[in-house]
Amino acid sequence: MTTHVIRRHPGAPPASARAITRPRVLLFNPAIICLFAGLALSIIGILAIGTTSPSLANKQSVFLAVGLIAALVVAVPHYEWIRRISYPFLVLVVLLLIFVLLPFIPDSIVKTVNGSRRWINVGITIFQPSEIAKIAFVLALANYLRFRKNYRKLTGLMVPFILTFIPMSMILKEPDLGTSLLFLPTLFAMLVAAGAKLKHIILIVVLGMSAAPMMYPMLKQHQKDRIVAMIGQITGDERYLDDEGYQADRAMTIVGSGLINGAGKTLTSDLLKYNKLPEHHNDMIFAVIAARWGLLGGICVLAMYLFFMIGGVLTAAVCREPFGRLIAVGFVAIVFTQMTVNIGMTIGLLPITGMTLPFISYGGSSLVANWLMTGLLFNVALRRPRFLERESFEFADEKYA
Amino acid sequence: MDKERLIPRMFHRRLLLLLSSTMVVFVALGAQLIRLTVFQGAAKRQRAEARLDRSYPLPTTRGAILDRNGERLAVDTASYDIAVDYSVIGGAWVIEQAVDAARDKYAKLWNEMGPDEREAAVVEERGIYDHQVEQLWDIISSLGRIDRAELDLRLDNIRKTVEKMAAAVWDNQRLLEYAKFGKPEPGEEDPFDARPILEQEMAHVILPRVSDGLAIEFKRLAEQLPGLHVQDSWRREYPWLSVNVPLDKSTLPRDLRSDDIVEIEVTGVADHIIGLVRDRVYASDIVRKPYKLKNGEIDLQGYLVGDSVGSRGLEKVYENQLRGFRGIVNKHLNTGEEERIEPLPGKDFNLSIDIRLQARIQAIMSPEFGLAKVQQFHAGWYLDGTPKPTQLPLGTPLKGAVVVIEVDTGEILAMVSMPTIAIGNTWPKSRQEMEFPFVNRAVETPYPPGSIIKPFVLAAAVGSNVHSLDDKIECTGHFFPNWKDRARCWIYREVYGYTTHTAQLGGPLDAIAGLARSCNIYFYTLANKLGAENLISWYRDFGMGQRLNIGLIHEIEIPDKETGEVRMVTIGEHAGMLPSADRIKVLRKNGQLEFETVIMGIGQGEIAWTPVQAVNAYATLARGGYIRDATILKNDNRGSAERRSGDLNIGPRVLATILEGLRQSVTESYGTGHGIRYPGGVEPIINAEGVTVWAKTGTAQAPPLPIDDDGDGKHDRKLKDLDHSWFVGLVGGGEKPRRPEYAIAVILEYGGSGGRAAGPIANQAIHALITEGYLKVSNP
Repeated sequence: MTTHVIRRHPGAPPASARAITRPRVLLFNPAIICLFAGLALSIIGILAIGTTSPSLANKQSVFLAVGLIAALVVAVPHYEWIRRISYPFLVLVVLLLIFVLLPFIPDSIVKTVNGSRRWINVGITIFQPSEIAKIAFVLALANYLRFRKNYRKLTGLMVPFILTFIPMSMILKEPDLGTSLLFLPTLFAMLVAAGAKLKHIILIVVLGMSAAPMMYPMLKQHQKDRIVAMIGQITGDERYLDDEGYQADRAMTIVGSGLINGAGKTLTSDLLKYNKLPEHHNDMIFAVIAARWGLLGGICVLAMYLFFMIGGVLTAAVCREPFGRLIAVGFVAIVFTQMTVNIGMTIGLLPITGMTLPFISYGGSSLVANWLMTGLLFNVALRRPRFLERESFEFADEKYA
Repeated sequence: MDKERLIPRMFHRRLLLLLSSTMVVFVALGAQLIRLTVFQGAAKRQRAEARLDRSYPLPTTRGAILDRNGERLAVDTASYDIAVDYSVIGGAWVIEQAVDAARDKYAKLWNEMGPDEREAAVVEERGIYDHQVEQLWDIISSLGRIDRAELDLRLDNIRKTVEKMAAAVWDNQRLLEYAKFGKPEPGEEDPFDARPILEQEMAHVILPRVSDGLAIEFKRLAEQLPGLHVQDSWRREYPWLSVNVPLDKSTLPRDLRSDDIVEIEVTGVADHIIGLVRDRVYASDIVRKPYKLKNGEIDLQGYLVGDSVGSRGLEKVYENQLRGFRGIVNKHLNTGEEERIEPLPGKDFNLSIDIRLQARIQAIMSPEFGLAKVQQFHAGWYLDGTPKPTQLPLGTPLKGAVVVIEVDTGEILAMVSMPTIAIGNTWPKSRQEMEFPFVNRAVETPYPPGSIIKPFVLAAAVGSNVHSLDDKIECTGHFFPNWKDRARCWIYREVYGYTTHTAQLGGPLDAIAGLARSCNIYFYTLANKLGAENLISWYRDFGMGQRLNIGLIHEIEIPDKETGEVRMVTIGEHAGMLPSADRIKVLRKNGQLEFETVIMGIGQGEIAWTPVQAVNAYATLARGGYIRDATILKNDNRGSAERRSGDLNIGPRVLATILEGLRQSVTESYGTGHGIRYPGGVEPIINAEGVTVWAKTGTAQAPPLPIDDDGDGKHDRKLKDLDHSWFVGLVGGGEKPRRPEYAIAVILEYGGSGGRAAGPIANQAIHALITEGYLKVSNP
C-alpha cells in the first residue's frame, strides 16, 4: 500500500476537501507575539512616564486605549481593502505634508513653532502627519512592489526610491530629521525581502555611505556639533559635556546609575529631577527605564522589541501573499529602526536626534501609529493563506540569499 | 525552487538575513547597556547622586587679638550683608530664564532649532526677566539708600574683577588642555570650552554691613527677587584704633609745663603691631590656598571671594591661626537632610601689650604734646642765656619709638612707633616715601647704639676677665696718644676747654664713674682690651645682630624682577648690624681694626640695633644675664620660629656696679642723664618721685638726614652731623627696690642730645607706668 504524501508547509491546509471550507481567519497567529510585546512595552512606557509624572502616565493610558481601538479597527477588514486605498492614502498624506509646509495656513490649524511645522490641529487633538506618513509609505511601497520584478534591475529601483524621497524630503523640510531618517532603512528592508539583488542594495548603501562625509558640510551647525560631541564622548574627550554633549552625558549618567537591579522609583525620580535630563518623558525615556529597573529592565525592553520583530517576521513568513509579506517587513523595519536610533542615542552610541521610542515614549501620535502598525500586522497574520496559494518573491535565479 | 537549500524559500532566507543582521544591533545595544550599568554603573551612580547634593560653606569667625588685660584690639563682629548671585549681576540668569521659558514654549521642537532660531526665541522671552533684574537694583538702591549710579559702579567693579579672575583661570586651563589634546591649527575652531569659575556661581556682597532692620526687610523680599541673599557676615573691628588720652602737663620740661590736663587724640594705636585685614581677596591668595582644590576636595581654610585676609602686622603673621576653619553644609536636595561640619573659630591671640599704656605712650610721642618735636631745650642755651641754634627748625616733628618691657618676663607692655600707619595714611605719597610711616621703628629699624652700649662693654670686659672692677682708667681726652682729633672723649671739646674726666675728678675713673659720666676713654680702653671678636661675641649674646623673634616675623615671597624666581624673605623684625668674621678680616688687613673696635666700645662704627634689641639687652642685664627675649605674645602661638635661651652669668657685683653707675647717671649732677640746663638753672630730666631709675643716655652719630624741600618725594639735600637721641634704662617702684621691674627704651630720630630730647619722653613713660599702675610709688 502506498501512502499519498502531500508536501505541507507550516500553516498549509490539511489535504482534505473539508479544509477548503474551513474558517479563513487564524486567531492563534504569530502576530499575537507582537500584540503582547507591544502591550508589555506600552505598559512599561506608562510606568516609566509615571516615574516623574503620574498625570502624563494617565494621559498615555488613554492614548493606549485609543491605540488599541485603532488597532482593532484596522485589523478587522481584510487588508486587501486597505491595499486598494494605499495609493490614495499616500496621496492624501503627501497632501497633508504639503499642507503643513504651506506658509499661509494659520497657526490655529497648523501649529507653527519657529519655522517648524509638524502638527495639524483637528479640533479635538493635534496630530503629526509624519507619523501616519510612515504607515502610508509602507503600504504604498508594498503595493508597488507586490507583483513586479523590475526592482531586480538597478534601473528598476528608481521608482521605489522616488516613492521614498517624496514623503522623506517633506518631513525633512518641516524639519524633522529623526522621522525622515526612518524611510531609507525601511525601504532597504522591504527591497531585500522582496528579493532585490543584494549586490544592488550593497552598492547603493556603500555609495551612500561614502557620500555621507560630503553631506557633512550641508548639516546645520547644531547637528555638526552633536556629531563632534558624540565622537568626543566615545573617545573619552570630556570637553563637550557641558554643552553639545550635555544631553548625551546626562542620559548616559542616568542609564549607568540604574546598575543591574535599578534604582527604584523614588531615587530615579530624584536623580532625573536634579540631573535635569531633558526630554525624559519621550526621547530619553529609555534612560528612565534603565535607571528605574536597571540592566534587567533594559534587557527586558530589548527582548520585547526582539519578540515584536520575531512576531512580525513570522507573520511575513507564514503569509504567502506579497502585499501582506511586505507590509509586515516594513512595519518591523520602522519599529526596529526607531528603537535602534532612540536607544543608541540614549546610551551614547549615536548622535542625539529627535526620535521616539516605539510604544514607550510619551505622545499620542506616536503611540497610536505604533498600534495601527500592530493592528495591520495582526490583520495580515489573521488571514489564513488560501490552499495552494503561490509563494511570493521566489526567484529561481537567485543563488545567494 | 532549489531543493538543496536548508531553507527552501528565498523569501524566508531573506527574512532570516534581515533578522540576523538586526541581531548585530541588539548585541551592540546590549553590550553598551552592560558597559554603562555594570562596568561604569557605580561611577555613573555616584555622579548622578552627587547632583542631589549641594554643599555650601558656613562662615567662621576670625580669632580675636586681645591685649594683656583682655581688651579687644581686633574682633569680628556680626552683621548682615546683602548679596546677589553673580548670575544675576553678570546677566547669565536672564539668559537662563529666557532659554528655559523658550524651551518650555517650543518643547520638543527646541532640539531641531538652529542657533539663530533659538536666539530669536530667547530674545522674545527675556524682556520680563530683564525687568525683574532692573526692579531688584531699584529696590536695593532705594532700601539701601545708595545712589543708583553708585550701585551700578559697584556692580561694574564686581563684574570686572570676576571677569579678570575667570580670564586668568581660563588661560591656565586652556594651556593645560592644549598640552593634553594639542593646540588647534590656525584657522581651526578653538575647542576650548570655558566653564564658569566658582566666583561666577556664588553671591557677591552689594551692601555690606546693613542694619538688622534693613536685613529683615531684605529677607522678606528675598523670596520674590532673583538671586538676592541676606548673608550673615563677620567684619573685623578695631575698637582701640583711635582713642583720646588725657595727659598731665605738670611733669613736663619747664618750657612746656602747665597745670592743664590736655586731651590728645591718638590714631592708629598699635596698628604696626596688630596690622589689619583687607576685605578683598587677591587672585594670589586663591592661588596660594584655594577653597576648592584641584582634585575637587575642599580646603576649609581656603580662600573665597568675600573673605578677609590679614594684610599687615599680626593679622598677617598669624593669618593661618587667626582665620579658623569654615564649616560646610552638605544638603541632600531630594530628602532635605543636611550634613554639617561646624565651623571652627580661629585662635585668639593674647598680646603682652597693655593697650592703655600703649595709647598713653603714643600720646606722649605725639608732636602735639610737645616732646616729639624740636624744642629749644633740646639744644640748650649759652651761658649768657642766648639760645643755641637748633640743627632742625624749632617745631619740626620728630619720629621715633618707645618700647617698655617687663624685666622678669620679657613681655612687651608698650611698643610705640611714630608716626603710626593711620597717621602715615593721611600723608601725601611724597612724604610717605621720604619718612616711611609704615615701618615699625621699634623692631624694623636699626640705629647706632651710641653710649647706651656702655654697660654691656663693662659687663663683657669683666666677664671676659680682661678688666677688674677694681682697676681704674685714666681719661686722657683722646684714646690714641698721637691722634687728638679722633676717638676723643665727649668732654674733650672746645666748649669744655678740652678738659678730661681725670682732670675733673682729680684721678682715674672707676667703673661707676665711667658709666655715670659716660667717659668714652674708659670704654675705648675696655673695648680695646676685649678685642673685636670678643666684643662682637658679647654684643651678639646681648641680642644684637640677630632677630629676637618677638612674634612679628613672617616670610613673604618676593619674585626676582629679572629671573622671576621666588625668594622667601623674612620680614617683621630687623636683626640689627654686627660686623661679620669676614668683615673683621678685611678691617684687620686694612689696618682699621683697632680704631673700629675702639669706637664700637662707645656704640659707634659698624654696629646698630633696634629699640627692642636695646631694651631687651637692658632687661637681660637686669636679670643678671639670664636670657628671656622680648615677646609681644602672652600665649605662645608663635609657631616654630626659634627663640633664644641661656644665661650670660653676669656676676652680682658687676650688676650692682653697673646699676649704681646707671643710677648715678640719672641722680647725680655729673650724670649725663641728670638734668636739662635752662638759663635759670638745672632741672632734673627724671622727675617721677618714689621710683628708682637706672638709665643711660645715648647721642649717636646718625647718617645724613635727607631733606625734601620741594615735596616731590625725592631728597634735595642732606643734613650732616645730626645725632639720634637715645634714653634707655630700667625702673623700679620705690626708693630702694630690690631690682629693676621695667626696661624702657626711647629713641628720637635726629633728636640730638640723648638726655635732653629722649630723656623727657622716658620720664613721661615712667609717669605713664605709674598712672597705669605698673610702678608702686613709695610714699616719701
